[in-house]
Amino acid sequence: MDWLLAVRFDVDTVGDFLFHPIILRAMRETLYITLLAMVLGIALGIVLAVMRASRNSIASAVAGTYVWFWRATPVVLQLLIMYFGLRQLIEDDLFRDNWTRWRAAVITFGLNEAAYMAEIVRGGILSVESGQMDAAKSLGMTNLQAMRRVILPQALRVVVPPTGNELIAMLKNTSVAFAIGVVELMNAAKIQAAQSFKVMELYTVAAFWYLVLVSIFSLLQAELERALTISERERPETLFSRALTLMGGRRGI
Amino acid sequence: MSPRSLSRTSLILLVLALAAVLAFAACKDDKKEAGKTPSASPTPAAIDISGVPELADGKLLIGSDIAYAPLEFYQTGTETPDGLDVDLAKAIAEALGVQVEFVNSGFDGLIEALNTDEFDAVMSAMTIDADRSKLVDFVPYLNVGVGIVVPADNPNNIAGLEDLCGLTVAVQLGTVQEKGLKALNDETCGDNDVKIVTFDTNPLAVEDVSTGGADANYSDFPVAFLDAQQSEGRLEVVEPAPNPQPYGIAVRKSSTELKGALTQALLAVKGSGKYDDVLAKWNLESTALP
Repeated sequence: MDWLLAVRFDVDTVGDFLFHPIILRAMRETLYITLLAMVLGIALGIVLAVMRASRNSIASAVAGTYVWFWRATPVVLQLLIMYFGLRQLIEDDLFRDNWTRWRAAVITFGLNEAAYMAEIVRGGILSVESGQMDAAKSLGMTNLQAMRRVILPQALRVVVPPTGNELIAMLKNTSVAFAIGVVELMNAAKIQAAQSFKVMELYTVAAFWYLVLVSIFSLLQAELERALTISERERPETLFSRALTLMGGRRGI
Repeated sequence: MSPRSLSRTSLILLVLALAAVLAFAACKDDKKEAGKTPSASPTPAAIDISGVPELADGKLLIGSDIAYAPLEFYQTGTETPDGLDVDLAKAIAEALGVQVEFVNSGFDGLIEALNTDEFDAVMSAMTIDADRSKLVDFVPYLNVGVGIVVPADNPNNIAGLEDLCGLTVAVQLGTVQEKGLKALNDETCGDNDVKIVTFDTNPLAVEDVSTGGADANYSDFPVAFLDAQQSEGRLEVVEPAPNPQPYGIAVRKSSTELKGALTQALLAVKGSGKYDDVLAKWNLESTALP
């Protein structure tokens, strides 16, 4: 066991920091940024996807350019430009007071995510047979009505799994916001590690909480996918539904 | 497109991609060569280094966060490290009769990297302090003070550290200044804490002051001085009470022979007048350690 004793790993430090207010506050920061940026990304992504799918060539080109721009540059560069760059450009006090590093992070992550979501939603739209659009229109619906009432609801089922992926990726990627001074879970751990030199201990704490958060997200995603499945027989079992069955509840909720 | 022509197209694309990868790989090797900073032809060693295991390969590998002008930085448009620490390291290596190579590594991870054998020593404007001394040994070599970078005309009238209470201060991760601000919050500021904003590198912390996100940046005096000088009048520097702790070359606790050799080499560099030459080159004569 000599090799194990040689490792300077202080389990007590892990215990001290696991529920430390600094770490919990940073975790809340991670969650806020992730969820707000995701909401912005999904909303804008749907708009962009509809624009790209539309017959209006200007709308389609604008959406295409947007996706190209935000996917072609690294998010850390986008953060630096959106925060430091804009603040350098606009020396107005009112702007600078309101364009905080935190808001810059949420909006940049959201705008970046919109480009990816646009492609995911576009894939969802393409998965719905084009005949359905014609059918909807022959019933007197406009393009947008058909999109909202017929195409998008069906696209949703295809869109949910990759969106869950995006959410999980976003949760972890928020740590890049350290470039503009935003401290979330990863960097709170990094800062504490730099001060205490208990590097692996603090990273263990961060890893633990990421695992917890991502596990919760994955469970919620499974529930959502189940709820969206139309055919009862094809409904996937989730942890929650299995628990209900085991407790003697109704099957197939 | 027929499956046949598709596969031919993919084959061509694959070959092109491979060619690009190979071209980059070759390119990377060149850069690695260029990144080395060999000392001027090693002279016969005056110091016996036969008992120093780290120098058995004839090379002193130094870890450094090379984004801290004028101590260590890359000259614009090059990949060659430059600065006072780099010049001093070259002089020391010459006295030891070995080559020196700098490895760029994040400041907050330098001690951990040193202790996991990534390099032989750390020379990175690292101030000797009690917590660091528990993990590594130091050879002191320079005595700089601390400096506070503020916007031009010092709008918050900062004269000393205590004036930072209640303000937003940008600082580099893992520095004594970051630790100093935390101590200031614990001991002096009361309910009016310094809002500490931490960055991976010091230049980003300075950028935060020049774009108004932070009220001040707290670093070492020579660095703060240069930052203010290069800001075209947008920033200025305040020198609070001088920091009594010198910079040290860090080595592993187990590197007793290397520590001895470095101490001897530093003495030789001082004796030959090279130490003073290097300090004079960077206008930092006042930071000399007797």
